[in-house]
Amino acid sequence: MVRKAKRTQPKKRKRITRKTARKKPGLLRRLLRLVVLLVGISIGLGLPWVIWLDVQVRNEFEGRKWDVPSRVYARPLSLYAGQQLSRDALLFELEAAGYRQANRASEPGMFSARGGDFEINRRGFVFEDGPQPALRFSLRIGAEAVTSIQSSSGSGDMGLVRLDPAEIASIYPLHDEDRTLVALGDVPELLVTGLQAVEDRQFKHHHGVVLRGIARALVANLKAGRAVQGGSTLTQQLVKNYFLSNERTLVRKVNEAIMAVLLEVHYDKAEILEAYVNEVFLGQQGKHAIHGFGRASEFYFDRPLRDLESQQVALLVGMVRGASFYNPRRNPQRARQRRDQVLDIFADTGLLSIAEVKKAKRRPLGVTAQTRSGTSRYPAFLDLVRRQLHRDYRAEDLSNEGLKIFTTLAPSAQEYAQRALTGGLLDLQQRGLPKDLQAALVLADVASGEVRALVGDRVQGRNGFNRALDARRQIGSVIKPLVYLAALEHSGDYNLLTPVRDEPVSLRQPDGSLWSPANYDKKSHGELALLDALVNSYNQATVKLGLNVGVANIIRKIKQLGVDAEVPAVPATLLGAVELTPIEVTQIFQSLAAGGYTSPLRSVTAVLTPRGELLSRYPLRMMPLDNREAIAVLNYALTRVVEDGTAKNLHGLLGNDTVIAGKTGTTNERRDSWFVGYTRDRVAVSWVGLDDNRPAGVTGSNAAMRVWAGLFRQLPIEPIDLDMPDGAGYLWVNKQQRALTDPACPDAVQIPFINGSEPDRQTRCMQKKQDRDKKSLWRKWFEDKD
Amino acid sequence: MKTKISMAGALLPLLLASCSSMSPAPVEDREVTTRVRAPASQDSAGVQVYSLQNPAVKQLTAQARNAERAGDFDQAGSYLERALRIQPRDPQLLQHMAEIKLQEEDYLQALSFATRSYDIGPRVGEICSRNWRTISVAKEHLDDPKGATDAETRAGQCMNTRPKGL
Repeated sequence: MVRKAKRTQPKKRKRITRKTARKKPGLLRRLLRLVVLLVGISIGLGLPWVIWLDVQVRNEFEGRKWDVPSRVYARPLSLYAGQQLSRDALLFELEAAGYRQANRASEPGMFSARGGDFEINRRGFVFEDGPQPALRFSLRIGAEAVTSIQSSSGSGDMGLVRLDPAEIASIYPLHDEDRTLVALGDVPELLVTGLQAVEDRQFKHHHGVVLRGIARALVANLKAGRAVQGGSTLTQQLVKNYFLSNERTLVRKVNEAIMAVLLEVHYDKAEILEAYVNEVFLGQQGKHAIHGFGRASEFYFDRPLRDLESQQVALLVGMVRGASFYNPRRNPQRARQRRDQVLDIFADTGLLSIAEVKKAKRRPLGVTAQTRSGTSRYPAFLDLVRRQLHRDYRAEDLSNEGLKIFTTLAPSAQEYAQRALTGGLLDLQQRGLPKDLQAALVLADVASGEVRALVGDRVQGRNGFNRALDARRQIGSVIKPLVYLAALEHSGDYNLLTPVRDEPVSLRQPDGSLWSPANYDKKSHGELALLDALVNSYNQATVKLGLNVGVANIIRKIKQLGVDAEVPAVPATLLGAVELTPIEVTQIFQSLAAGGYTSPLRSVTAVLTPRGELLSRYPLRMMPLDNREAIAVLNYALTRVVEDGTAKNLHGLLGNDTVIAGKTGTTNERRDSWFVGYTRDRVAVSWVGLDDNRPAGVTGSNAAMRVWAGLFRQLPIEPIDLDMPDGAGYLWVNKQQRALTDPACPDAVQIPFINGSEPDRQTRCMQKKQDRDKKSLWRKWFEDKD
Repeated sequence: MKTKISMAGALLPLLLASCSSMSPAPVEDREVTTRVRAPASQDSAGVQVYSLQNPAVKQLTAQARNAERAGDFDQAGSYLERALRIQPRDPQLLQHMAEIKLQEEDYLQALSFATRSYDIGPRVGEICSRNWRTISVAKEHLDDPKGATDAETRAGQCMNTRPKGL
C-alpha cells in the first residue's frame, strides 16, 4: 500500500508541474486542493480494497506455501544374520531407499559393495517408535542369506539393523492431486536463471510489477490488435496462477498488479520464486492439472527435476507461456520451435555457450510416450494405500499436512512382481496368446496380511485401471477349495477318502435352461476319493459334492474367510461363476494359508504427524475361525494339487521341490486364468485375461501359474507347515481300500483326518499284523514269566 | 481362595484404569503376572519347550519387555510386531503378544494370539499353560464363564506330555 502510493504520487506531480508551468499560480492552489481530494478519495475507497486484496493473496500464498504433501514410505528393511535375502534384492532395496553406491560408505546414505561384502552408512530416521540414529555397519551376504552384520565402530556383531525406509510417494491424502514439491535449492541452476531470462529479467530488482514491461506489452498488443504479450512479472504470473482464470479484464489486471506488489512487500524473492516453481501450470492429465516443474518433469520426462538436461529445462521454461499450445506430446513441432527459441535466449544471456546450445538443439524433445501416474513407481499399491486411509482414518486427521505414512510395500518384492507379470505376459505372447493380455498380481504375508506387492497393469507405473483391486472376474476352479472345505467341516460325513462320483450332471438353472458342466478333459472319471477330485479339479464330482453340501454353505465360506461379496446362490457358483477381484481372492487364501486365522489385508501400518507424534497405528490383528481342523486338512490337499495335480508343473517352473500349496483356475472359453499359491510365509494370487472379457486362450496352469512362478523364483520359499492342530491328525491308510493300515503294509500313506472322521475299516494286512503283535505280546509275557 | 483370585482379577483392571495417568502398576501386580505367568511357571516346574530365537528376535523381545514394564503397551506391541515379521510362527512371540493384548484389555485379540500360539506351539509345558490361562482370563472378561473354566482345566493338562499333531 505504502509503496503503491509512493509510486503513483511522483507521476502525478510530474504532470502537475508540467501543467502548472503554463498556468497561473492561483490555479495551483485549486489544483492542489483537487489532488488532496483525489488522494483522499482514493485512500478512503482504495485502502479497504487493497487490504482486502492483501488478505486474499496472503491467504493463498501461506496456504500453498505450507501445503506440504504427506510422504509415503515402504516398509523398512530389517537386516539380521540368518535372514534369507539375495544380493540382488539387497541392492534393489538400497537403490529404492535412495542409497548411492560408492567406493567407501563415507557418509549417511552411501554404501559400498564388493561381492557379498557390503558396507552401509545408514541415515538417521524418525520412525513411529522413535528416532533412530545414523549408523555405519558392514554386512556379508552368502548364498541367498545374510551371514553376518557388524558395526563399523568395532563393537562387534549386531543383532538387528533397520534401514530407513524407501520413500515411495508424496501424496495429498484428501485430494486427488499429484504434486511433487521441490525446494528452491534442489532446482537446477539453469532453470532458475533461465526462467528469469525468458520470463522476467528484472525479477531480482522489481517490486512486483514493471511499468515499462506493461507499457511495452500494451504497445505490442495494440499493434497486433490482440493480446500477444503478457508483460507480467513472475510475481504477477504467480498471482494469476493462484486465482486461475482466463478473464483478461482491466480490473483483473489491476488487481493482479496490486497483489503482486503486496506479495513482494510480505515475502522475499526466494520465497516467491519457490512458490512459482511449484505452482506454475504446465499441462493437463485427464482431469488433473500438472502444477509445478517437479511434477512436470516427471510427467513429461519420467525423471526428477534435478536430472534434466539443458534442452529439457528449456522446453519446460518455454511451456510456461502456454502449456497446452506448446504441449510436446500433442504439438511436438511447435514445442520444439519454442524450445529452440528459449535455448537461443539462454545463449544470448550467457547461460549456455553457443556450442552447448548447438548441441542441445540437436537433441530430440525426449518426452516419454507413456505418461506415468507421476509421483510414484507404484501407482497400483498407492491406490490401495489411499483407499485404506480413507476407510480407516478420519478426514480431519488426513487433512494434517506433511504426514508420514508407513506402509507394508517391499520394494524388491514389488519389482520382482512387476517383472514377473510383464515378462510373463511377453512370454505368453510368444507362445501365441493375445498380445493385449492383461494381468494382476498380489503378494501378502500369510501371518500378518501385510500386502508386500501389488501389480495392476502390465506396464509398470501406468496409472489406469487397477486390475488387482478393481477387475471383478469369474474365479473358476479357484472356488473349489471352499466346496471341499465345506464338505470336510461335516466330519461325520466326509473325509479326504470319501468316495464321490464324477459323472455327467444336468441341472435346471433359475432361468430355466439346462446346465451340464463337463470336465476339462471332456471325460468323466467315475467314483474317486474326494482328495483326488480336488487334486485333479474335476468339475462334475465337485458339482455333485457341492449340491450335497449346499450352495448356501459355500457362499457362507466366502464371507467367513473375510470377503463380503454378492454371490448368486446357483449351482454354477460351485464351479466359480462368482466374480471377485484378485485382492479379494488373496484375502480368502490368506485366511486358509494362515491355518484359519483371518488377518485383514492391510497396506498401512502407521501414520505419524510432522512433529513425530503417532496419529494412529494399525496394529496386527487376527481372528481365529472355528473350523481350523478342516482348514488344516484342506491345506494338505492343496499341497497335493502341486505334488501331483493340476499344478504339478509348478515345481519345474520354480526349479524348487519345496512343499507348497496351490490351486489353478480357468473360466469358460478360457477367458480367465487364475493361480493361487502359498508357501509357509507368503501368499500370492495372479490373474491373467483380457480386459473386454473375450476368450483369451488361457488356463490356470498355462498363464497365471507362470506369472506366479516368475515371482516366487525370486523369493525365499519356505515349506508349508503341515502339522495338524488339536482335533486332527495323520493316520496311515490304504487309499484304494479307504481303510486304516499299518506303515509296514503295502500302499500305506499318511493322510490327515479330523478326529472322528477316520475310516472305520482296517486293511487285512493291518488286522493280521495286529493279531501277530498281540500274540507276540502274549508270548513275550509268558517268556518273561519263564 | 478361588473367589479371592477372581476378585483381584475383577478389581485389577479398574485399579489399572484409575492409575493409567500415573506410573503403571509394577509388573508383578498385574493380572498377566498373577493369573497367567506365575501359575504357569508353577505348573511347569521346569518343563519348558522353547523354540530357538534368532538374535534379532531376542533383541526386539527384550525391548518389548522393557516397554511392557514401563506400561507402554502400544510400543511393546509394535516391537513384537516387528519380531513377528521376522519369525511369524514363533509361539513365544505370539503368546507374549497375547499377554500384551490382555494388559491393553483387548480381550478378543488376546484370545486370538494365545489360540494361535497354542495351535502352532508345542502344546505342552509352560507356554501351553500360559496359552490356556490367557484364554481363560480373556474369556472371563468376554462374559464366557464356562469357556474360562474349561480353559483353566486345559491349562492344568499341559503337563501331560503328548506328541504334537496326533
